[in-house]
Parts: sequence; C-alpha cells; structure tokens
Amino acid sequence: MNELSGARELSGRPVVTLGGDAVAQVRDTVFDGPAGRITGFTLSGRGLLAGPLRKSLPWSAVHALGRHAVMIRGVDVLAEPSAVVARKEAAHGQVLGARVLTDAGAEIGVVLDVVVEGGTSGRVAGFRINARESLVAGSRRRRRKVFVPRGETLAVSGRALVVPADAVRFVADDLAGFAARVEAYRARGGATANGVERGPLP
Amino acid sequence: MTFSEARGLPVVTLGEAREIGVLASLALDAAAGRITHLRVTGPRGRKETAVAWKALHAVGPDAVLVESAVPPDPGPSGPRHEVLGRRVLSEEGDERGTVQDLVFDPSTGRVEKVVTTLGEVAGDRLLGLGDHALVVRAD
Repeated sequence: MNELSGARELSGRPVVTLGGDAVAQVRDTVFDGPAGRITGFTLSGRGLLAGPLRKSLPWSAVHALGRHAVMIRGVDVLAEPSAVVARKEAAHGQVLGARVLTDAGAEIGVVLDVVVEGGTSGRVAGFRINARESLVAGSRRRRRKVFVPRGETLAVSGRALVVPADAVRFVADDLAGFAARVEAYRARGGATANGVERGPLP
Repeated sequence: MTFSEARGLPVVTLGEAREIGVLASLALDAAAGRITHLRVTGPRGRKETAVAWKALHAVGPDAVLVESAVPPDPGPSGPRHEVLGRRVLSEEGDERGTVQDLVFDPSTGRVEKVVTTLGEVAGDRLLGLGDHALVVRAD
C-alpha cells in the first residue's frame, strides 16, 4: 500500500506539473460525502504572502499524490473553484471535529484528521481521532490520539461518523503502525461476529 | 563527458580561432533528453550568450569549437532553469535528491545520465525541468 499521510499535512504541499513547474500549493483537501475519497483540493498561490487561488484541482486531474508534491500533467488541468467546492458544500462541510460512533452505539472520540493514501487511489484509509479512552490495548502510554481504519460500512450523518465496532480493534498510535493495521483490517474479510474473534493485536 | 568536465572550457570559433568566452552552463530539453544550448560567459565574466547545440562543431576535452558563421542565438525559449543543484522529483511526487552533474554524449548532446545526491537517473527517464524541480519517470 502507498504511504499514508494526514490531510492536514497536505496543506502547503506544492502542486507541480510533470514539466517541473510549481503552479500552486494545496490549501484544503475536500472529501466526498461519505468521506471515502478525496474529491479534490482547493489551492493557494505559491509563497508566504500568496492568497487563495481562483482555481481548484479535482482529484481526477491528479497524476499522483506524493510525499513532497501533488503531481499534475500540466497547468491546464486546474479547474474552476466550483468543480471542487460545490461538492464540499453538498457533503455538509468538514469531517474534522465530527463525533465517531461505533455501530454498537459507543462514542469513541472526535475526528482530528483524515488519513489518505498516497499515489493515485485518492482513498481515505482512516481517521486520526482524539479518543475518549485508550483504545490501544497494552499501550502503556495510554495515547489518546489514535488512528482508526475507515471501514467499508461507515456512515456519515450530520456531524457524526459511524464505524464498525470491530474497527476499534485495529487502531494504532502512529502512522507507520497504522498502515499495517489498515491492511489487516481489509484482509479480515468483512465484519466478524460481535467482535468475539480476537483481532491481530499482540 | 560530464558537465563538471565541460564547464569552464574555452569556446572558440572554428574559422578565426577567436575565443568568445567560456562554457558556463547548459540548457536542456528534459523531455527530449538532450542539451539544446550552451550558455557562454564572455571575456572578463561579462555578457552571456547562448549557442545552439546544432551550431557546435565539436566538444573536445580542452575546448568547444563553434562554426564561425554562427548567427546570434536568442537562446532557449521560456524561463531559464539551471539544472545543477535542482531538486529531483519522481512523477509520483517524491523527492529524489538534487542534481550534482550530467553525463552527456559530446557528439550528439544526448543526456545519458543525471547524477543526483541519491544516485544516477538515466537520461531517457527525464520528464521536465521547471522552476521547482527536475521531474523523472519512475524506475
């Protein structure tokens, strides 16, 4: 799987053409309604004093999302702001700050950040949440800021996200460990019965 | 031949043996993988001129010879981007070091390799050279 990164750290990442020119930088990442995919990016100009750019970058025009740049084929793929922002409003704004509920009805925390896959997929791998209690079994640090895989059955309603109850057994407390947990979570092949089966936690 | 060897070579006209300056830098067409122009600094570091690669007679170990009847060249079109010291970016958007040197074929101007701080990149993997980076195709 491709490198994961938090959407917040994408802000300021340069948008670079295959010709090597930096034409903009990422201002905000916009997600679709169920927060399953990146819809696109709003942009600002390059440099400290540059303001918002009257252009946006729809995900379909992204060549690759890399660690150091968002690559595009050429400057002509940039679109009107409405191509991305109209969908942002349709998705009832931001997922950041939304409450995270399990499908068993427990509130496990609030969303701090959205974790996205690098490369060409545009997929949301999960969320960084501020947990109400330590979700990482056996973690002595009792970290409260943890990563939860997105899951396939997630629902988004208003200001809350619903994740499968068994997703909380696949949490990790850093991005490196999270990549492996997302793989394990996807490989588990659908929801397990009432979470009786033990997850792959050590 | 490497650019570090070629830099500073005297640039001499073939007919009059007049030294018009020294080789200062190269202009590339990255997507085509070739050198399009030499930039030549005149005597006493003044006045830079461009010489198109096709106006060259020979690039040797000790001098660059240009045809005598070279019309003044407007130089490469578009903004100037030095390749040396330029950041290298893969087309996936990951940094791959910075450019340290170029290896080129002195008879054709084809770029054979780009030497970066993290290793070598074959000349046919270059995609573009812009204000931000030299973009290279994935391995």
